Amino acid sequence: MPYSMTRWNNGLDEVEQVSADITDETNALPARYFTDPSVHEMEKEKVFGRYWVYAGHANCIPEAGDYFTRTIGDREIIVLRNHDGDIQAFYNVCAHRGSAIVEETPMTDPDNARRIQCPYHLWTYDLDGDLASTPRSFEEARLNPDLEDEDVPDLDADSNSLMDVHSDRIGPFVFVNFAADPMPLAEQAGKLKSELESLPLAEYELAQRIVSEVECNWKVFGGNYSECDHCQANHQDWVTDLELLDSELEVNDYHWVLHYKHREDVDDEMRIHDEHEAQFHYFWPNFTVNMYGTADGYGTYIIDPIDEERFQLVADYYFKDPELTDEEEQFIRTSRQLQEEDFELVERQQRGLKSGAIAQAQLGPNEHTVHKLHRLAQAAYEV
Amino acid sequence: MPYRTHHSRSAPFVATCPDCEIERSSDSATELVAFYRRHHRHTGHDIVVTRADLEFSAAVTAALDASDDVAAVVDGLDARYGVDKHDSIESGTDGVPIGIVVAAMSERGFTVGETLEAIAGVRMTGALYEPRDDHLAAF
Ligand code: FES
Ligand SMILES: [Fe+2]
Ligand SMILES: [Zn+2]
Repeated sequence: MPYSMTRWNNGLDEVEQVSADITDETNALPARYFTDPSVHEMEKEKVFGRYWVYAGHANCIPEAGDYFTRTIGDREIIVLRNHDGDIQAFYNVCAHRGSAIVEETPMTDPDNARRIQCPYHLWTYDLDGDLASTPRSFEEARLNPDLEDEDVPDLDADSNSLMDVHSDRIGPFVFVNFAADPMPLAEQAGKLKSELESLPLAEYELAQRIVSEVECNWKVFGGNYSECDHCQANHQDWVTDLELLDSELEVNDYHWVLHYKHREDVDDEMRIHDEHEAQFHYFWPNFTVNMYGTADGYGTYIIDPIDEERFQLVADYYFKDPELTDEEEQFIRTSRQLQEEDFELVERQQRGLKSGAIAQAQLGPNEHTVHKLHRLAQAAYEV
Repeated sequence: MPYRTHHSRSAPFVATCPDCEIERSSDSATELVAFYRRHHRHTGHDIVVTRADLEFSAAVTAALDASDDVAAVVDGLDARYGVDKHDSIESGTDGVPIGIVVAAMSERGFTVGETLEAIAGVRMTGALYEPRDDHLAAF
């Protein structure tokens, strides 16, 4: 008996919901969720509009007034440090007539502002997002023959402030949530929060960002990141240092951790965590923390959808000193090699999914992490 | 050598980010501009067109050779002298796809960011306009 059966688009099979039981044949998200443009549109709200999504790293904006922008789905936000040293997020949208305010400012090249001024009619906001000043033409009605100056109401600073976006942090990682009343970040993060907070992540600085475009759905790459059944055949250099059979893929509510045990003789004194292993954390929906175990530093990925069949992999590398040593450059090369090996796999998988031949794929018993990803996607779609 | 060359064997348009050492290939020059915009949003990096398989008539080539001025280049491309194989330049009034302008300017040594900046500057003088989104015509 086969472990389970693939559902081909042969005119007979119907797809089913992702079964909670990984031994069922319908344990994977149906193929159309990886190829359908309307699913991509839906995910902007149901996934990226409702869960905590990584915005960026607090160390990139150390001083009051430092800010960067980030676009999540169709939403453009400003992430800034206020005078209290806290990090806040706002929609990059003016309360007057809705203009975008600041230009795109990536985290790698942040800017500083004493105040946030809309270029259109010069409404000006303080670093808490409150309306601080408007030009005279908003206080008197000189051009309007039907209105007396004294009838012009005062603009209330509070109710004309920038629109807040919920934000919270795990160590230096800043997350945002667009829901009106989101679950706390601590709840979505579970023990990821305490695990990451126990590491000295804030002592490291962004040294390099490399952004690649990959021709597959973001969940295809998310699934590839999450399992290692493909490693032996496809990452031959990397697996020589691993005891794959002693490794463990640990699944929690909204995150999973890949513990890849290093072989006894691997020199991994450079790692920032205690265990003799590489540790990869995937945090639903599209953020990862990569601790390779062989470098005094860490990496993060943002798996940022472009459309239903493309995404950008935003790979950031953090070291004690942002000036890279030769070894660190070599380390990033190795990481890039792994990425390229994976890109080839996931683009090939997308081609297959797109062909229309398969209606619902199947997951193996050690792809329980991918199962979690697919189940979370389905749960998000259903609400 | 940038990564991702396995992709680009036959594509007529290829662009690269020298900082990230990544490469993007496409059938459409316009897609290279979209690539620049997406990449720049995350990184601030500029993008260089490394291959643009354009076939221009002698007249367009002469116009391109005569000037680094983006308005003159658009004017040369817009006169229906030349049609490239992939993005068709349908008629003068529809304008030249911005990607074709970017590709032509890349042969003059301009990066994608530099060309877009030059276009924005000339548009602000009124000498270029967009009869359609991301299509340029000289005034
Ligand atoms: S839209 Fe911002 S000041 Fe008018
Ligand atoms: Fe992999
Ligand atoms: Zn780049």
